[in-house]
Amino acid sequence: MSLLIRDVSRSFGGFRALDRVSLEMPADGLLGVIGPNGAGKSTLFSVVSGFIPADAGTVSLDGRTLDRLGPAARARLGLVRTFQVPREFHHLTVRENLMAAAPGQSGENLLGLFFRPGRVAAEEALTAAAAQDVMDFLRLAPVAGLPAGRLSGGQKKLLELGRALMAKPRLILLDEPFAGVNAVLVQEIAARITELNARGIGFLIIEHDLQALSRLVPRLAVMDRGRVLAAGAPAEVLADARVREAYLGGVVA
Amino acid sequence: MLGQLFVAGVVHGLVIGLAALAVTLVFGIARFPNAAAGDTMTLGAYAGFAAHGATGSLAVAGGASVLAAAAASLAGYLLVFRPLARRPVAALLVAAIGVAFLIRAGLGLAFGHQQRVYQVPLAWPIEVMGLRISPMDLTLAGVALAALAVAFLVLYATPIGRQMRAVADDPDLARVSGIRPFRVMVALWLLAGAAAGIAGMMLGIKTVVSPEMGWESLLPAFAAAILGGIGSPVGAVAAGLVLGIAQEVSTPVVGFTYKIALAFAVLLAVLLVRPRGLFGRVEAVR
Repeated sequence: MSLLIRDVSRSFGGFRALDRVSLEMPADGLLGVIGPNGAGKSTLFSVVSGFIPADAGTVSLDGRTLDRLGPAARARLGLVRTFQVPREFHHLTVRENLMAAAPGQSGENLLGLFFRPGRVAAEEALTAAAAQDVMDFLRLAPVAGLPAGRLSGGQKKLLELGRALMAKPRLILLDEPFAGVNAVLVQEIAARITELNARGIGFLIIEHDLQALSRLVPRLAVMDRGRVLAAGAPAEVLADARVREAYLGGVVA
Repeated sequence: MLGQLFVAGVVHGLVIGLAALAVTLVFGIARFPNAAAGDTMTLGAYAGFAAHGATGSLAVAGGASVLAAAAASLAGYLLVFRPLARRPVAALLVAAIGVAFLIRAGLGLAFGHQQRVYQVPLAWPIEVMGLRISPMDLTLAGVALAALAVAFLVLYATPIGRQMRAVADDPDLARVSGIRPFRVMVALWLLAGAAAGIAGMMLGIKTVVSPEMGWESLLPAFAAAILGGIGSPVGAVAAGLVLGIAQEVSTPVVGFTYKIALAFAVLLAVLLVRPRGLFGRVEAVR
């Protein structure tokens, strides 16, 4: 029961964004990924979530190879991602944003709509209830009816997490969940992640806020120039000489 | 006189509004100007004409126009637009013009190029608040409103409608949210085709059926879609009504021949003064 990334490489033109990256984590674990800008973290997310294909290497979840699946198929297997700059369906309300991400609705299909309206309505009620639960959990209920484009940056981060939760996730790839978020909301988001992880949802998290991340995750991987430099317990990894040189420049004690 | 023209304008406006709805949905979700929308209307008009000729029933004609136009619209997607997805907009526009010519040529071959007229019974107009309204106008307005109600219900009150609007907002985010793009596209083309088909039948009943009728309606439809704010379904219908009423009411001033030019004028004015249209919102640049 794990996410396995093995020897994944990806180049853009002549630039090697990912150079034989291998990482492994339990599907219900918590793994943080740090590294300077351009280290390949976001590219790694795009490859793992199926957004861009890898040139070489393989990604598997629970022993199942994902390499030939697109992002929608991976999302339905429970592997969902968020974006560094939060994205939302800006004309849809917060509630609709969440409901749109619910998988396997028979109302996705015009025929189902016209020939099984009862079933579609029953499913809609379930989806709406699930969206309400997520909004209560993330404290988004007060803005349920607001077009998502009008949310604050922090609320959009929460909505991203909420949309991931609606997809019945097993493992969520969080791209900088704390970036541009005020300190209070950072605590809030971290607490939610811990709570969800206790319920068995795994998280792979890219983050620049080292302090917040070190408190949150038991394991940390450090990337630099497309490679994984080190992986292990945060204290251990941050003490690693190569890491201090490549990433921290010795500034952070 | 003015009231009479206003009524005619409402019916004409509903036709334009339905066609503009088809245009704006495709533009918002598939992201190209579908120049085949007009000829999809023509197909709907002929399908309705044939069904009406065979059965004499307007309901059957409506059903036939919806089915034929939706099927043709879906076929256009599967055979032409889907293989060309992710190509530049210009390529898709040219392909759409090609599809339009294909439909028109097919209809010309099947039905000939002479004008056809729906054989609808003449009826005395009824007086409503001093206006004489033909029962057929009332029926057609009812049909159009019912079609719009169904379209808006699908868009705003169903899972697939929500997903269509989601894809319109951010196709990549829709994919990572597990929304299947293919299903959304199938629903889009069926819905857009059905709207165009009903519009075509209405236009055929109000005027005459000919292979060129839809092509000539394309400009008002695009003008309304742009005036309403491209990608805005409510805007498209509202702008269709505005344009239809403006065209009819201006007839005594500009004359019958030139009322079509009004659509051009509106189009130009909107593009120059308010490019995002009446209901359009400023889109974030990514």
